[in-house]
Amino acid sequence: MIEQSCAPMPPLEEILERYPREEASLIQVLQDVHRAYNYLPCDVLAKVSESLGVPLAKVFSVSTFYKAFSLTPQGKVIIRVCTGTACHIRGATQLIDEARRLLEIAPGETTPDMGFTLKTVNCVGACAMAPVLIVGEKVHGNTKPAKVAKALGVEERHHAH
Amino acid sequence: MITLTVNGKTVRAREGSPLLEAVRAAGALIPTLCQHEALEPWGGCRLCLVDVTRPEWNGWAKMVVSCLYPAEEGLIVQTHTERVVETRKVVLDLLLARCPETPLIQRLAREHGIEKTSYLPNPEPTDCILCGLCTRVCDHIGVFAISSVNRGAGREIAPPFHEAPPDCIGCLACAEVCPTSCIPYETSDARRTIWNKAFEMVRCPRCGKAHITKAQADFYAGRNGVPQSYFETCDACKRQEMAHTFSKLSAGAGGTEMETGKQGNRETGRP
Repeated sequence: MIEQSCAPMPPLEEILERYPREEASLIQVLQDVHRAYNYLPCDVLAKVSESLGVPLAKVFSVSTFYKAFSLTPQGKVIIRVCTGTACHIRGATQLIDEARRLLEIAPGETTPDMGFTLKTVNCVGACAMAPVLIVGEKVHGNTKPAKVAKALGVEERHHAH
Repeated sequence: MITLTVNGKTVRAREGSPLLEAVRAAGALIPTLCQHEALEPWGGCRLCLVDVTRPEWNGWAKMVVSCLYPAEEGLIVQTHTERVVETRKVVLDLLLARCPETPLIQRLAREHGIEKTSYLPNPEPTDCILCGLCTRVCDHIGVFAISSVNRGAGREIAPPFHEAPPDCIGCLACAEVCPTSCIPYETSDARRTIWNKAFEMVRCPRCGKAHITKAQADFYAGRNGVPQSYFETCDACKRQEMAHTFSKLSAGAGGTEMETGKQGNRETGRP
């Protein structure tokens, strides 16, 4: 999936053809667009609106409502630090500090090389394994600041290059 | 028609109609902020809360928002029980914290015994209470120019991408329906600006009044299949024209007997 985003962007038409052209397809189309472009570009949203017959204001409303969608370009790997009550108590703040130190970005920001985006989430629903750190699709439970560097997959990045 | 009781008073209502209508028909005074007779009830402001019960509920009662609750036979409604009044106060207290400088909210809060919010006042005071009337009226007209964006504490009403909304026709319905008048606009005979979008005005060919934007005339004409020229004449002039036509018609139909009255009719403009 990560490699796919480096490839030329799949035409929007290809995504739109997967679903019936109706309002009910909106979220599925937005999810596929997000996967393909790693964010929701303005011009693409305008085309989605036109194609599905959903007013642009509604498309924008849905795009800004869900945390899963971003309107600004995201890094290839998204790091989510859970800041729910259990994770907070078991050291989520230290995890964020460590991630900030390693990546030199604040939560909500993306590294200049577009490699990582750091995010905080309110609760991932895995309080038993607090504190939780999610790197891409992989969930790391019972994490300590010392384990963050490895979890961020610095080695993995070297492999990719 | 069904019968129900509001504050001990028996009122009749249409079955399934919003309870709020029956409550108001009974003369009970309860505030609302998100309700508008032209729009579907929404239940956003929570101020129209009432207590409802039925004899067979054995004293159990529940609080409901009356704008959304359907009127039913035999319902017993109380609009000012202690818990309803308290809850309404909490809602107004929270609204005052959000909008500490808004005259309407200040007045409503004061009427309910709140001079100052007991919560932390909003450091960035706003007049928008997120009642959704503007977006709902815009959707109702079929324009869909603005919507609610973001979520939670960051929710606001905005056009797509916070830019001039491409779909807006400049009808000002959103600004007119806003209970706190917080949507700014400027309008003159030449130009109208709302949501940072400028509109060209259409002047009535008879009286010269700039009464509609060109985008509005285009939108209505496109939707109704009526020629655009129909929308150029303002409503007042259209009515006048219509009255003229009818006065002529009735004078004509009356034949010779009406002849004597004809002169007078023309002066008064009445048939």
